[in-house]
This record gives sequence, C-alpha cells and structure tokens, in this order.
Amino acid sequence: MMPKILLIEDNEMNRDMLSRRLQRRGYRVITAQDGEQGHVLARSESPDLILMDISLPAMDGWELTRRLKASDNTRHIPIIVLTAHALVTDRAKAFEAGCDDYDTKPIEFERLSEKIESLLAEKKLS
Amino acid sequence: MNLQNLSIKGKLMLITMLTSSAALVLSSASFLIYDLISFRHLLTLDLMTQAQIIGYNSAAAMAFRDEAAATATLSALTAKEDIVAAVLYSPDGTIFAHYFPNGAGHPSTLPGRSQENGYRFEGGYLEVFRDVTLNGERVGTLFLQSDQRQWSVRARRYSAIVGIFVLISGLFALLVSSQLQRLISRPILHLENAMRMVSTNKNYEVRATRFYSDEIGRLIDGFNTMLSEIQHRDTALQRANDELKTRTGELEGEITHRKRTQEELLKAKHAAEDASRAKSAFLANMSHELRTPLNAIIGYSEMLEEETRDSGKLENQQDLRKIQSAGKHLLSLINDVLDLSKIEAGKMGLHLETFDVSLMVEEMVTTLQPAIAKNTNNVRVRLPDDVSMMRADATKVRQILFNLMSNACKFTDHGTISLDVSQSAMEGQEWIRFRVKDTGIGISAKQQGKLFQEFSQADATISRKYGGTGLGLAISHRFVQMMKGRIGVESQPGQGSTFTVYLPAQVTLDTAEAAQSEGAGAAAAGSSQHKPELDTILVIDDDPAVRDLMSRFLTKLGFRAVAAASAEEGLRLAREVSPLVITLDVIMPECDGWTVLRKLKSDPHLAQIPVIMVTVVDNQPMGFDLGASNYLIKPVDRDRLAVLIEKYRLARSSSASEAKVYSRPAASREERRPIEAEVSRRT
Repeated sequence: MMPKILLIEDNEMNRDMLSRRLQRRGYRVITAQDGEQGHVLARSESPDLILMDISLPAMDGWELTRRLKASDNTRHIPIIVLTAHALVTDRAKAFEAGCDDYDTKPIEFERLSEKIESLLAEKKLS
Repeated sequence: MNLQNLSIKGKLMLITMLTSSAALVLSSASFLIYDLISFRHLLTLDLMTQAQIIGYNSAAAMAFRDEAAATATLSALTAKEDIVAAVLYSPDGTIFAHYFPNGAGHPSTLPGRSQENGYRFEGGYLEVFRDVTLNGERVGTLFLQSDQRQWSVRARRYSAIVGIFVLISGLFALLVSSQLQRLISRPILHLENAMRMVSTNKNYEVRATRFYSDEIGRLIDGFNTMLSEIQHRDTALQRANDELKTRTGELEGEITHRKRTQEELLKAKHAAEDASRAKSAFLANMSHELRTPLNAIIGYSEMLEEETRDSGKLENQQDLRKIQSAGKHLLSLINDVLDLSKIEAGKMGLHLETFDVSLMVEEMVTTLQPAIAKNTNNVRVRLPDDVSMMRADATKVRQILFNLMSNACKFTDHGTISLDVSQSAMEGQEWIRFRVKDTGIGISAKQQGKLFQEFSQADATISRKYGGTGLGLAISHRFVQMMKGRIGVESQPGQGSTFTVYLPAQVTLDTAEAAQSEGAGAAAAGSSQHKPELDTILVIDDDPAVRDLMSRFLTKLGFRAVAAASAEEGLRLAREVSPLVITLDVIMPECDGWTVLRKLKSDPHLAQIPVIMVTVVDNQPMGFDLGASNYLIKPVDRDRLAVLIEKYRLARSSSASEAKVYSRPAASREERRPIEAEVSRRT
C-alpha cells in the first residue's frame, strides 16, 4: 500500500499539478482546498503525511498545524509546510508551530519529494 | 571765579589790562615819587633860604637884643602859609622871639632849645635850624618849622591826577584789548566751535576757517587735516559698512535660497525614497504574483516531460524542457532583480551567524553538480584544515561562491575549475580567501572593467549564448561589500579567469551600517536590525556541566552566554544584563525554578523577557501557567532550542520595525540556489 498524502492547497493549478505529480510517483493523494477541509480530512483519512500551503482560507497553516499537533489522533502525522513567504521568521515559526519540515515555493519537486521520502522513512522507523 | 578757568577772551583782556595798568602805575608812581622828592628838596632849599634871609635880617635885632624888631622880622613870614612856627633862640639857647601864625601858642613839637645847623623831618614837619651871625659872630639861632603844606597838596593833587589817568588809560586799555584780543581768541573760539559741531553733530564735513598764518592758523590747518582724514576714513568705513550690508543681504538671500533648495532637495529625496520604497514594494509584489503562475508553468512542464518520457513520446520532450528552462530562467531573473532592488533599497541586511566553511563549501559543490556535469568539467576543491569556522552571512557567502562557481562552469568546457579556500591575517584582521579558477574562455581587460556592474554582461552575445542575467556578479559584488570584503578578477581571453574574494573571518555589523540602513528607511529583513553587540542569553542552572554545555552551545550560535548557578544570582543577572532570553532549570537547591519564574514575571522590568524552561521535570502546564514561553525537557534538543532563541531574536529586532516591514517580502535564497543550478543545467 503506497503512502497516502493529504495535500492542502488553495491554488487550483498548484493543487492539480502537485497532486498529479505525487500520484505519478505512486502516492495516494487526497486534496483539500482550505484549512477547515484539511482539518476534517486529516482526522478522517489518517494520511501518512500532510503537505500544506501556509496561507490558506478558513484556517491558516499555522493554526491547522497547531491543532493537528495538539491532538493525539493526528500528532504523529508529519507535516511539510509550503510557503512563498520565505522569511527566516517563517521557517522559525513553522518549526515553532510544530511542523516537521518546511519548503518554499516555487516547488522544487525533486527536493520536495526527497523531504517527503525522508519523513516517511523516519515515520516508518518509529 | 578762578582766574585759570576764565575764558580766553577774559584772560587776554585781563592780561592786557593788568600789564598796561601795572606799567602805567609803576611809571606814574616813579614819576610822582621823583617829583615829590624833588619838590620836597626844593621846599627844603626854600625854607633854608628863608631862614638865611630872616637870620640875616634879624641879626642886628639879636645883637641889640631888640625883641620887637626881631618879632617884626619874624612876622614877615606871614606870607609863607606853610610856616607854622618861627623861633629865635638866644645864644644861651633860650627863646628870644617867636612867631606862630595860627596863634595857637607853642606847638608841642617845638624844641626846647637851639640845635646844630641843618634840617630835619620831625613828626611830619620840616624843621630848619640856622645860626644867626653878625660879623662872623654867632648871635643867636633861628628855628623854622614848616608843615610842607604845598608838598602834601601837591602830593594829593598829583595822586589824584595819576589815579584818574590810570583809570582812563585802564578803560582805554580795556577798550583796545577787547578789540585786539579777538586776534587771538576769535580763531580759537572758532576752532572750539567747529570742534563742538564735529563732536556733537558728528559732522565731519565741518572745516575751521584759517584766519592768520600764526600758530593758531597752523593749529587750524592741522585740525582740518585731521578732520579730512577722519572724514576720509569715515567715508571709507561707511562704504565698507554699506558693502558689508549689501554682502550680508546677498548672503542672507543666498542662505534663504540654499535653504529653499535644501528643502526642495529634501522633499525630492523623500519623494525619491518613497518612490524607491514603492518600487521595492511593487517588485516584491510583482515577484510574488509572477512566481505563482511560473510555479504552474514550470511544474506542469516538468510533469508533462516526465509523462512524455514515460510514454516514449520523445519528440515533445525537447520542447517541454525548453519551456521548463525558459521558466526557470525567468524565475532566476525575477529573483536577481528582486535581490538587486532590495540591495539598492537598503533592505538587504546581514544575518550574521557562525558556520563551518567546509560544510558550506561541500553543500554548495553538491548543489552545483548538475552545472559541473553539463560541460564535462572537473572540479577541485582545496580546503585546508585550519580554515574552519567563520562568522558572516552564510546565505550570502554561499550565494557568492555559487555565483562564481556556476559562472566558471558556464564559461568552461571540458576544463578544470578549482576552488581554493585559505585563511590569512592582513591589516590586523583574519581573512578567508576564496579563489575560483577556471580554464574557460576568459575575460578581456575591457570587459573586466564593467564586470561587476549591473546588467553588463561582458558581451551582449554572451547572454545569448550562455544565458544569465548579468546580475550574478553585481549581486556578489554588493554582498562582498556589505560584508566589508573584496572581490577581484584576473583573466586573459582564452586563458581562463580567476576570481578572488576576501571576506573577514569575523564579519561585524558596524554602527555606520546600521545607521545607514536606518537612514535609507530600510527595515526589511529582521537581520539588518541586529545590534552590533551580541544578544545575551541568561542560563540559570545549578548543574555546572549544563551551564558549561549551554554556554558553549549559545556562544557557537553567536550569542553571549551568561550563566547563573543559583536563583538569587539568576535574578540579579537578569536585572543587570537584560538578556534576550532566559533559560531556567526547575530543580535547584534553596529556591526552585518555579519561584524564580514567579519572581521574574512579577517584576515589571523583567516580565517581558521570554523564559524557556529547560528541565527534567515534565510539568508543562505548571510552566505555562507561571508564564514560561517554552518548555523543553532535558536532554535538550539543541536544534529546537536554537530555533526558539532565533525566533525571539527575530521577534525583538522586527518588533521595532514592524510598521515599516513590507508584509510580503520576497522569497529567500533558500528556494533559489537549486533553481540556479537548474538554470545552468539547461540546454
């Protein structure tokens, strides 16, 4: 069974493109368009990994991360945050909020997929 | 009135009067005295003659003792009014006959008896004794006493005449002197008047008239000359004054003008700064807006390429790669332009950290691999062991090296690119030298001159052939300058190029730079707001090993670590050093961490300092309730601690400038490096 990735991204093109590319790599991908939806799916679908944009409608990535990491049901799911706001503060904030990794847009797919792989591998080990 | 303070006129008149009167009185007196003496002498002679005549006439009567005859003879003296007494003495000295014209009896002054011949002045009277002889025989003595009436009358009369004369001549002298004194006093008074006019009216055009060619005339000449001189100088002074006034006026005008210009310049400067800010904001905005669609373009083309590769439709693959490559090129252009605009807007700050040079180089070369492989180049890195840590803006150093290395790869085909890192001391400072040498096409001397300028790739054909924005070296140059380093190039066409970068091993932020970045209205990246001095972290822990480890770790991160072994010392140091962050242990002797935390949070001066609990006690709720900002359980995750502290540092430095910070700053270089690698890899 290939890992299931929850992709939370409000930009349609990015969502479509990323999900297709991830699927091409063999991942199962479920998508959400905003934070609320993402939150619901993260709890109901138990994804192996969550990939989320930080500026999301309804509930932003920071808040969503905090909620997911606060809950025993979802705490174990690795989260990679994607942001165009590539400030050092954002990076610090991402880790502060409890994210497991961090990447900036535009997506460097190879790099991202490496991060995904390593997080999934870590998860498997633990 | 004091004689000396008399007016000149008065003095002159007085002198004339006194002189003439004195002369007159003296001469008159001497004449009078002479006259009176002579007259008295005459009177005496006359009286003696009278005595002789009467003696002679009365000789017979004496001889014959004829008293009557003698008295008659004496009576002849009646005509002589001045004779007050005439006495004939017998030879024995007794009075024989006498004559007293006034009938007043014996005057008291009458001598008792006869005396020797001769005359004498006695009691205002002239007295004459004369022997009366007859045939040579003395028969008696005649005594005549005169009151010299004529003499005193004459003396009185003469005195009166002299007095009147003196008075008249005095008046005359007064008249004459009052006229003549003008000869002297008039020019002097005139001079005095002129002087008064000059001194009271300050009128230097007044001139004294010269009356005569005497000393006063010369005095007036001198005075006039002096006045001319004063007037001349006064005029000159006035002219100088006027000129000064004019100049002052001109200067004031000039100053006003300059002030206005300055204000205008300031306005223009503000306008330019506003425009610059607007431009930066626009660029940042644009870059973000441009990147989102670019993201899709690149992503979809990459995806399509993968799909075509998998399905074996190779005819489309090349075209899709071109789309990707063009997209990435466009992205790197946007990033470069944004970088440069940030530098120019002064918004590019330095974020200093201490890092391992070898790790950085290693990582950079790994990222560069695709570019190296593309032109089948050979890369040699020489990095001696003594070069280890440096303190600088790691991202910028990496970007500089990446730029130089990727350029070298780009312009070298089947050649060798070497990176040589070394450390040396120069000018009392440690420097890290990076030398990038290639065996590529080289750069002509002319091209080298504008190599580090913006948008000036050595040759226009170069950009067509090799691509790139031409901004890489310009940006590298600016970064090197920001870190107070140097960059230089040695090259000959066809012989390859050598780029050398010197950077201080310990880059510092100086106050001038901080002021400059502030002055430019720049507040962008939080890192530019760092104070030159290190931020202090206070470690409160009773375990010396923990204190030591933490201090070393924090120092390595670029902080100043201050450690306290007890609660009391910790509270004291917190007040003294006002740390950026306090890390606090819970289990300590005497006073535990909870108490310290309570005290810290109840002190208004210390309450705002973030406290990170670092403890084996797993009681987060307690910590957060008491006001701790974070809770780390020992053994401490160092990365986590580093992230937290960094967060507080950024929060503090950006809080001061939050209002100015553009809320959507551009992407950092983290996302760029690999892209640039990709760019170089494209066909």
